[in-house]
Amino acid sequence: MNQRVSRFLLSTMSSAVLAACSLPALAVTLNISLDADPGKLDPTQSSMLNERIVYQSIFDKLVDLDGEGKIVPMLAERWTVSEDQKTYTLFLRKGVKFQDGTPFDAKAVEFNLLRGQEKTSLRRNELKYVSKITVVDDHTIKLDLSTPFAPFLSILTDRAGMMSSPAAVKKYGDDYVNHPVGTGPFSYEGRLKGATITLKKNPDYWRAGLPKVDEVVYKIMPDVNVAFNNLRSGQVDITNRFPYKEITNVPANASYTVLNKPSLGFRGFYMNTGKPPFDKKEVREAVDILIDRNAIAKVVYNNAVAAGHSPFSKAQFANGPSDVPPKVDVARAKALLKAAGKEGGFSFKLTLPTTPDELQVGQMIQGMLRPAGISVTLEKTELATQIEAGKAGNFEGLFVGWSGRPDPDQNIYDFVTTNGSLNYSHFGAKEVDDLLQQARVEGDQAKRKGFYDQAMAILVKEVPYIYTVHDNVLFGIAKSVKGFQYVPDGVIRTATVSK
Amino acid sequence: MPKLLKRLLLSLPTLLLVSMVVFSLLAVLPGDPVAAILGMEATPEAAAALRLKLGLDDPLLVQYGRWLWAVLHGDLGRSFIDNTPVADALWQRLPVTIELAIGSFLVAVIIAVPAGILSAARPRGWANAIGTLIALFGMSVPHFWLGMLFIILFAVKLGWLPASGFVPLSVDWHANLIAMIMPMVVTGLRESAILMRMVRSSLLEVLNEDYIRTAFSKGLRDWQVVLGHALRNAMIPVLTASGLMVSGMLGGLVITESIFGIPGMGKMIVDAIFQRDYVTVQAGVLAATVMVVIVNLGVDLLYSVIDPRISR
Amino acid sequence: MNSSTNTTNTTSSQALPELPRWRTLRRFAGNRLALIGALIIGLLIVLALAAPLLAHYDPIFDQDYGNLLAGPSAEHWLGTDDLGRDIYTRMLFGSRISLQAALISVGLAFSLGVPIGIVSGYYRGAVDAIVMRVVDALQAFPSLILALALAAALGGGFYNAMVAVGIGFTSSFVRLARGQAMTIRNLDYVMAARSIGAGHLRIMWRYILPNSLAPLVIQATFAMGTAIIAEAGLSYLGLGAKPEDPSWGSMLHIAQGYLNTTPMLAMWPGLAIFLVVLGFNLLGDGIREVFDPKLSR
Repeated sequence: MNQRVSRFLLSTMSSAVLAACSLPALAVTLNISLDADPGKLDPTQSSMLNERIVYQSIFDKLVDLDGEGKIVPMLAERWTVSEDQKTYTLFLRKGVKFQDGTPFDAKAVEFNLLRGQEKTSLRRNELKYVSKITVVDDHTIKLDLSTPFAPFLSILTDRAGMMSSPAAVKKYGDDYVNHPVGTGPFSYEGRLKGATITLKKNPDYWRAGLPKVDEVVYKIMPDVNVAFNNLRSGQVDITNRFPYKEITNVPANASYTVLNKPSLGFRGFYMNTGKPPFDKKEVREAVDILIDRNAIAKVVYNNAVAAGHSPFSKAQFANGPSDVPPKVDVARAKALLKAAGKEGGFSFKLTLPTTPDELQVGQMIQGMLRPAGISVTLEKTELATQIEAGKAGNFEGLFVGWSGRPDPDQNIYDFVTTNGSLNYSHFGAKEVDDLLQQARVEGDQAKRKGFYDQAMAILVKEVPYIYTVHDNVLFGIAKSVKGFQYVPDGVIRTATVSK
Repeated sequence: MPKLLKRLLLSLPTLLLVSMVVFSLLAVLPGDPVAAILGMEATPEAAAALRLKLGLDDPLLVQYGRWLWAVLHGDLGRSFIDNTPVADALWQRLPVTIELAIGSFLVAVIIAVPAGILSAARPRGWANAIGTLIALFGMSVPHFWLGMLFIILFAVKLGWLPASGFVPLSVDWHANLIAMIMPMVVTGLRESAILMRMVRSSLLEVLNEDYIRTAFSKGLRDWQVVLGHALRNAMIPVLTASGLMVSGMLGGLVITESIFGIPGMGKMIVDAIFQRDYVTVQAGVLAATVMVVIVNLGVDLLYSVIDPRISR
Repeated sequence: MNSSTNTTNTTSSQALPELPRWRTLRRFAGNRLALIGALIIGLLIVLALAAPLLAHYDPIFDQDYGNLLAGPSAEHWLGTDDLGRDIYTRMLFGSRISLQAALISVGLAFSLGVPIGIVSGYYRGAVDAIVMRVVDALQAFPSLILALALAAALGGGFYNAMVAVGIGFTSSFVRLARGQAMTIRNLDYVMAARSIGAGHLRIMWRYILPNSLAPLVIQATFAMGTAIIAEAGLSYLGLGAKPEDPSWGSMLHIAQGYLNTTPMLAMWPGLAIFLVVLGFNLLGDGIREVFDPKLSR
């Protein structure tokens, strides 16, 4: 009897041990480095590109972008746009659930869009033309706009189109940022402020067979060289930045590759047209033609950017002849200055951020403007002060770039139209306003490009903003990573990635 | 221990004063936290709503009072930037800084105490000369430069250690120590230079006291005298200095943390200053100051243990 | 910012009885180090003053995009930096910034801290209590953060940053001066002066101040070294000198981005800071030797 009991116990114990040993294989974790800690994990409160990278894993959007920048279905399977372009009917995918188990349906879309329009939401501006939302049935929703708005669908590929679980929002209220719930491939686990954000695989993700990894960990590494070292040592699989000097240094047997392709953004600086010295357009044009974009692209960025002269990069359909930088012409610049009554030159203060490459660009600009007698003082500021200065018009030159949006309207409209929310230059020209307004309501892409070309023809003479370069999407990707897809918006899409 | 209680109570006004100073400094900082939080896409309404929510338009005294009240109830607030509870961030980062401070201090002690003793006991020897020179060098080297040199040597050229890549102690103590070696050694070297000089001069003084000479004349051997009698008394000023050193490290390791990518308190506070995240700055400085007070108290306690004559 | 610790007691510094020839040898050795320190600082001052004459290029505007990050050569004695500027020239002009950093911050701390400390130590009582509370609070502050917040609050820029650093130093000068005042006020000659009716101000000015100078000057010398490191640190973090100015700290900050590719960039500014701080420390030790040899060893 005793022998049987002890043998039974033994076999039970050994099978327990065996069971423990045969636990599922080690979880596959995708490690991604970000150069700044995302702020709030709530699309309606988001203001930084980095946040979008994290959101992409947690939230799906109504529509998405493909590698060519075209709009493709996501949570909306298909859609129709009325003749007058004022009514969008979205047919939503069936059988999709939020990560908390609640169903995704038209009511959820309505909830999210209304939430996006609230006073405290940062998406309010983007959604301001949506005047009426009608839930037709569980999987159909009709959106009425107050005016035709060509960029509308592209806006839904971004944060305004991200769907949060209404149940979770209602449950957590203000604390929702610490419990974000979407329909995406990964659900939120937790974060170590300034260090990591951890997401776990969503087993009920609606795209069959995805995601391919079990866990995504975003590691915050503000120093690009630190991120690079981590890539080399294998502690990080994808870096969202890459050191410019190393791009040309990649050995053949390296464990990683560099993705270096056009993005949608631009860099440059505003000039304050509201006060001297930049109240005269000749002065602005003079500065414009003194800056050697190609040198900047080479010296600072090791050609990981494209020299530019417009807000439209090569990844955008509105990219036109205006994007070619002018030849550097010191003589002409001097002549322009003379015409504006500033023959001996002048001095101004250029306010810039504290990032090393912008500081280098600033110093190069100092060197480039000097031959015409223009002396530049550089003033370093943090983002808080920069934005405040911009809005208040409290600057002479202000370095602020834009990470870019899929639709060209979102790269130019608010920046140069009279009283535009991002028009820190305080510039205004009726012709430009009219052209951009027409481009905004026109449905045909070719026609829109025409309007943008015309607007840019005026702007290269008025120069309220000096465009310097277009950033590239520059990622370091470990060779062990498969299934990575490049999209010009610079957001890392994790659903299809495997290791 | 009424004395200890008295000391504790006396440090409260200091804490209060520090928090008031920080608050006023932050208030004077140019730049708008709302602009920092909402970024370029801010709408005027969102900005106004946020200002209201954070109470940024109230008079300074009211804001300070509100904060103080909350703190006294154990609520350190939520970060402006991402709305995470500041207490969580402190909980995660304070141990890291403490670990770095203690580790550096240990490195410093291991180097400085034997070196200091040797120097004091053999003032004419080559050990003293070399020790003095090394101490001088250690005091003069900018610690962030040393950090960079270490990275160049050990991470880039030799590849022995990772240039960065912090892992919390609780997750993997092995990886954590590997990540912390260089910053600890770099900081420890600098501290050891200062500490060594202290140990030596303090020990030298004590060794000149009459009772030590008596011990020598009684026939006690050198080392017995030095270690047995002199060291104990020499340690007192060294203890004060150590206390100052460790408490200084609690908020002042910012650059080391930056270079090595260590998510500590110093970096958190500095980043928060740049982001105008007042709540985090207040809480961080408060925590650092509390640590300083605790360390000072600890030092005082150790005094009374080492030397019962001292009745602070 | 650790100020070096000074013990102010007056016992002899020799452990065991020394032969006369050892004593002289040690004195000489001590003074030789001090001499080296003085030489270094003298060199710093000369270089700083003569920088425009000794420089080969303009430190900011002479950018040579075809010749980036070059090694030493005949045209560029120390090579070029990330924008093709001559490192040798920038190092020269950097010495000006470092010197100014030391003089401004320590000068401020000294002129502010010493009077306050003397007054506090002399009068004792309520004044002293308040001053010590404030000093305690200031010292409990993490020093770099204090400097940062102050610098930012004052509006950034080099001079404001150095003022902030100076304010951070003030508390240690207050403490030291106060200690001196407390000791000296009880000495015989001071009592004598009081008994013949000398006023407080006169006593502080004629008796206390001159006799406290020794340790204060020593402290100031050490503080200069610390100030230079502090300036470098602040430049590194983004406050302090203008970005284009060749502050050694800014140069180190730039170099950090090139540790993988061009580690030599970090060598020169770091070495310079090290040597200058060493010079101040040696000088401080030397002055201590001169004024009170008993204090040093």
